[in-house]
Amino acid sequence: MKRKLTALDISLAGMFIALMAVGANITSIAPFMVVGGVPITLQTFFAILAGAVLGSRLGAVSMGVYALVGLAGVPVFAKFSGGMSAIVSPTFGFILSFVLTAYAVGKLTERNQSLRMYVAASLVGMVINYVAGTNWMYMAYKVWAAAPEGFTYSLAWLWMSVPLPKDIALAICAGVFAYRLEHRILSRSYFRTVRKTA
Amino acid sequence: MMEKMIFGRYLPLESPIHQLDPRAKLLFTFGFVVVVFLANNVVTYATLAAFTLMLVYLSKINLRFLLSGLRPVIWLIAFTFLLHIFLTREGDVLVKVGFLEIYEGGLRQGVFISLRFLLLILVTSLLTLTTSPISITDGLETLLQPFKKLKLPVHELALMMSISLRFIPTLMDETDKIIKAQAARGADFSSGPIKERVKAVVPLLIPLFVSAFKRAEELAIAMEARGYRGGEGRTKYRLLHWRWKDTVAVCLLLLLAVVLWRLRS
Repeated sequence: MKRKLTALDISLAGMFIALMAVGANITSIAPFMVVGGVPITLQTFFAILAGAVLGSRLGAVSMGVYALVGLAGVPVFAKFSGGMSAIVSPTFGFILSFVLTAYAVGKLTERNQSLRMYVAASLVGMVINYVAGTNWMYMAYKVWAAAPEGFTYSLAWLWMSVPLPKDIALAICAGVFAYRLEHRILSRSYFRTVRKTA
Repeated sequence: MMEKMIFGRYLPLESPIHQLDPRAKLLFTFGFVVVVFLANNVVTYATLAAFTLMLVYLSKINLRFLLSGLRPVIWLIAFTFLLHIFLTREGDVLVKVGFLEIYEGGLRQGVFISLRFLLLILVTSLLTLTTSPISITDGLETLLQPFKKLKLPVHELALMMSISLRFIPTLMDETDKIIKAQAARGADFSSGPIKERVKAVVPLLIPLFVSAFKRAEELAIAMEARGYRGGEGRTKYRLLHWRWKDTVAVCLLLLLAVVLWRLRS
């Protein structure tokens, strides 16, 4: 480990976990986020932002702790679910993949801070989210549900291709949003200056 | 809704299971998730089911309440059951309706695997129903101590968990307040094409992020002003006590594992 986690790192990561909880359940606070009857969660959106704002290491750590908080029984996952039983749910892989998503987005945006890079990094993050999540889902059905031969790998992907266009659009939005947040607000804020000099 | 966010799914009751040390309960639950896979015939599944029902009885949690919490996963169990009924082809054909054939092996597998799912979910939800998120955090912090050798910042991670527990309700309130404030200024969230609605989210997210970062900064300054220097040599306000009951609970699980091992075919 390069540097010890400071009080600021810890409180920022904790705050991002709370933001994830809001993002996962934004439909229940704001009914307008239902598009065509399907409630939208902003989990991937916020995971991408965690990587872009907190950086690869702290972003990944905060997403890992987010999964732990949910497992500890706080209803921070989508639809106010939570608790140890989430671990056997086939969609738990998506929650775990946020760690990789945040890490990848952080790594990519640390070097190059252009708008194009932010959007590209968000798309990479979203692809990681899908690949890891779908593979986990397939594996979970195979192991926990001992799914028979008929449940094929391509069937799992077919299932996941339905929300894909929506998530591509959200990822692009996340990239643009992260870029603006970074350059208009955060570059002048207190914690960026502290972290640069530390 | 706010209460739900604060306490999570914890039900404060007085029962032998509530009184167990969170570390014992965590070990027990992780052990159980493995032990469930030992069952493979009628006798072993019956033993497992009886054991789980005994745990539910001991926890004094209303079975109806527990089952109502299962509603979100019921379709998952049903899906698993149907998957097996129609796709497993072993043994004799029981029913034949048109092109659908139900095999004896499929029916048995379907029942067993759905039961396995149900038991896994029951036991894991018992953990979170009988233990508050704060105790689970404390328990995890002590159980993960050995990982400190691998440079995992265990204390810092536990502190992040506690901070987020404290701020989840605050940020939920804040989001609600920002929505109302922007609506009062004439922001329209509920109509128009999708593109317009997505645009309307930006004036919601920017203030939310700014306020979250401000809170994080203030908290960090307050921590540093009080001399926070990480986990080294820090004492605790809430202490965990490992009693003989906790040893009994862990031994009980080992006993279950041995029994299942002997009975499985």
